[in-house]
Amino acid sequence: MLMTRKSSNANLKRNMVLFGWLMVMLMAASAARAELLIRITEGANAAIPVAVVPFAESGVMPAGDKVSNIVQADLTMSGEFQLLAPEKMLSLPSKRSEVYFRDWRLLGQRYVLVGELTRSGQRVEARYELFDVNREQRILGETAGASASNIRSLAHHISDRVYETITGEPGVFSTKLAYITLTTSGNESVYRLQVSDIDGQRSKIRLESREPILSPAWSPDGKKLAYVSFETGKPVIFIHELATGKRTKAADFPGLNSAPAWSPDGQSLLMTLSRDGNAEIYQMNLASGKTTKLTNHWAIDTEAAWDHAGRGIFFTSDRSGGPQIYYMERPGAEPRRLTFGSRYNARARPDSKGEYVYYIHQRQNTFHIARRNLKTDEESIITRTGSDESPSVSPNGRMLIYSTQQDGKGVLTVVSADGGAAYSLPASEGEVREPAWGPISR
Amino acid sequence: MKGHERDTISTDSTSLKSPVVLSLALHLLILAVALAGWSWTNPVQEPEPRSIAARLISPEPEPSPLVDDQDQRKKDQELKEKQRQKAEAERKRIQQEEAQREAEKKAQELARKQEQLKEQERKRQEAQAKQKAEQQARAKEAARKKAEAEAKERERQKAEQERKRQEQVKRKALEEKKRQEELRRKEEAERQRKEEEARKAAEQKRQEAERRLREQQLNALAEEAKKAQENEARKQREAQAARAREAQMLTDSQKYQALIRERLSQAWYPPSSATENMTARLQITLLPTGELASVTLVSSSGNTAFDNSALGAVRSLKRYPVPDNRDSFERYFRQFTIEFNPQRLR
Amino acid sequence: MKVSAQNKAFAMLLSFGLVAGCSSTGETIGEGDYGYESGSDVAAIDEDGGSTVYGGAEGEGVSSTALSDEEREEARAQAEQAALRNITTFYFDFDTSEIKQDARDALVAHARYLSSNPRQQLRLEGHADERGSKEYNLALGERRAKAVERFLVVNGASRGQIETVSYGEEKPAVRGSSESAWAQNRRVELIFK
Repeated sequence: MLMTRKSSNANLKRNMVLFGWLMVMLMAASAARAELLIRITEGANAAIPVAVVPFAESGVMPAGDKVSNIVQADLTMSGEFQLLAPEKMLSLPSKRSEVYFRDWRLLGQRYVLVGELTRSGQRVEARYELFDVNREQRILGETAGASASNIRSLAHHISDRVYETITGEPGVFSTKLAYITLTTSGNESVYRLQVSDIDGQRSKIRLESREPILSPAWSPDGKKLAYVSFETGKPVIFIHELATGKRTKAADFPGLNSAPAWSPDGQSLLMTLSRDGNAEIYQMNLASGKTTKLTNHWAIDTEAAWDHAGRGIFFTSDRSGGPQIYYMERPGAEPRRLTFGSRYNARARPDSKGEYVYYIHQRQNTFHIARRNLKTDEESIITRTGSDESPSVSPNGRMLIYSTQQDGKGVLTVVSADGGAAYSLPASEGEVREPAWGPISR
Repeated sequence: MKGHERDTISTDSTSLKSPVVLSLALHLLILAVALAGWSWTNPVQEPEPRSIAARLISPEPEPSPLVDDQDQRKKDQELKEKQRQKAEAERKRIQQEEAQREAEKKAQELARKQEQLKEQERKRQEAQAKQKAEQQARAKEAARKKAEAEAKERERQKAEQERKRQEQVKRKALEEKKRQEELRRKEEAERQRKEEEARKAAEQKRQEAERRLREQQLNALAEEAKKAQENEARKQREAQAARAREAQMLTDSQKYQALIRERLSQAWYPPSSATENMTARLQITLLPTGELASVTLVSSSGNTAFDNSALGAVRSLKRYPVPDNRDSFERYFRQFTIEFNPQRLR
Repeated sequence: MKVSAQNKAFAMLLSFGLVAGCSSTGETIGEGDYGYESGSDVAAIDEDGGSTVYGGAEGEGVSSTALSDEEREEARAQAEQAALRNITTFYFDFDTSEIKQDARDALVAHARYLSSNPRQQLRLEGHADERGSKEYNLALGERRAKAVERFLVVNGASRGQIETVSYGEEKPAVRGSSESAWAQNRRVELIFK
């Protein structure tokens, strides 16, 4: 306002000129060639081609499977990788200078893992490198060591690192598996509770009984197992410390004591008791032994499982006629039914991310494992087998193990969480059932 | 505006605009006005207003005769009578005075009126006289002017006559000249006629030439018009061709886009943890052969594994399908952007 | 009703069979059909000592053991009950603990028996077929066992005599994954101790 008329005029003129230029430029920009934009909205619905080159060895390696073979098997089991058979490899490099990316490109591989094992006394050292073939870059390079008797753990560690580097998710190849086997000879039945590597190897018997053992459940720290044992003639919940073999009875009430499930803090167990007359869900504080009744219905309420946040509880109830999955927002809250459309849905197991819940689902006279998207409520069947039971989700939410029948025998099968790939664990003696996937131990 | 206000006032004291001089002048002016005002403020003498005077009617003191008692009553009566008479007389006198006054007034009025009339008459007569005088003056003037004009006219006529005379002389001379000229002209005409003929001939030739030229020009114009039309047609064809090429390039580009999209889709292994929220944008530069010249991550998805999967996919294509047509290539495929964003169908 | 009728007929047949085995091949208990091969007029007495004797014309023969109608009736009833009590496994339809109609008679027999033998202890073992989830089946087996227990108690047994346990799908009676195997595994077993 302090401008003289003359200078305010000048300003206005300047502004108009600028505006004019702006319009011109805008028009020019829009008239100018708009850059092409191509959108890719889906990828190959296939496993990533990866080559694990047999590691070079210096020194005598312990007997047993080769490290690179174990890594290959691990990555294959995940369902996310397509491993190149070593006989197809054009060369067998063990370090970068020996890697000719063009060769691997020709073979259509995306990643190449090379390495060298060195034995020194009772120790084996592994130097391993992972390369991105197209970017011709090393994306992982480490050394790790283990005792010669623990070479499998070393291999699983390498599998974890490779998996993490490529997918960004934690690997689960160093986790443990708990399961029950049954062998019968004549009228004799022997039940065994076993713990093994995730690939079924190095299994150790933790309990042997002539009476059924059911429902193994890992404590969150991976040090204990809770399970149901009929050794006293009725179902009783035991807690078994793996390192020491020490056992305590957690629940031995009249009637059922079953379906134990650990809280995320390891301080309490959800369980199914029928001491009040019919199967209901209780929460027991392990330190005090005090129980709190969470359901109150004449129907069967069982198979409780905490959600990923440790806040709400999924469980099975047949209060609507047949078994269905219900959810209570907090312990003791009014349950909400989740499953419809099939007359049998049981044994809910949520993943650790809160994305999906997996359960047994009847469809056309057989039982599959289905998963439900907790946000969209979409349900899809993820197993191609039938007579499926006991789903257990991997700690990274990417795989599922369950028991099924193969040639009339009970076996364990691992599938990728979307049901893409299936991998049956090597058949062991007798029947295998009730797998429980152990936690990632850090 | 203020600028003007800021103009300084001159401080030259010798100029007429000096404040002292102005002041003096003003005072003098006032004085003059006052004096003039004096003479001005002398209106027509009005007669003094007569107010109803309450004249003291005081009986004139009469010598008091000796009075008898006897005559006292009579004298009283007489006095009364006298008084009455006096009063009467007075009254009458007053009346008379009044009447007189009235008459006077009237007479004055009349006189005034007469005067006025006289004045008016006088004025009128004056005016009349004036008018007469004016008229006379005007008449005189008119007469004078007339005389002038007449004189002028006479002069003019004289001059005119003179001119005419001179003209006559001239004419005569001219006629003579003319006669001579005539002769000459005839000769001239003859010559000219001949020339004319020649000229006409030449003219005809020229016109002929002109016509031919015009024809040529018309032809040329026609040619031009035709050319222009042809040009126009050609331009249109070219534009159409260009549009067709454009369209072709577009369909081509779309076709190659679709090819590239397909190849990249097949070559992309999004990590299993990828969500629909992840978007990675890469800028691609290709060589005309379809080979990848460079790739840059311009916008990260926030997840390293996802970004790397996109980069890996782009780099895994040895040769990108691109159109052979160089224009199409330059237009669309020299440099473009690829966006990786998984949309689950489940 | 079919099962009990069958059982009745079976019991009858059994009795007759015993007689027939020792005597002649009397096929029917008809009026005046005495066509025995042996031709003997006198029938042997069976081990039970209470079998019916055929001989001569109706009413002519003299039976070796003289049972009154009442006693005969009671004996017959007892046999019936014993036969019913032979049934110690009760079956269920898929995913239900509803006691079938044709199981009632046998269970009532068991209840009566328990009621009249208060020191008799009984263990009910509930089972389910292998399909579905193990834990749910454990609860289902228990519910079946409890259903039977309730029925027995209602019909005379006392709760103190009965113990229930469930094995869910863990102890099938018949191995296999067929409808018939499954049907045979959905059961409650009565174990008298």
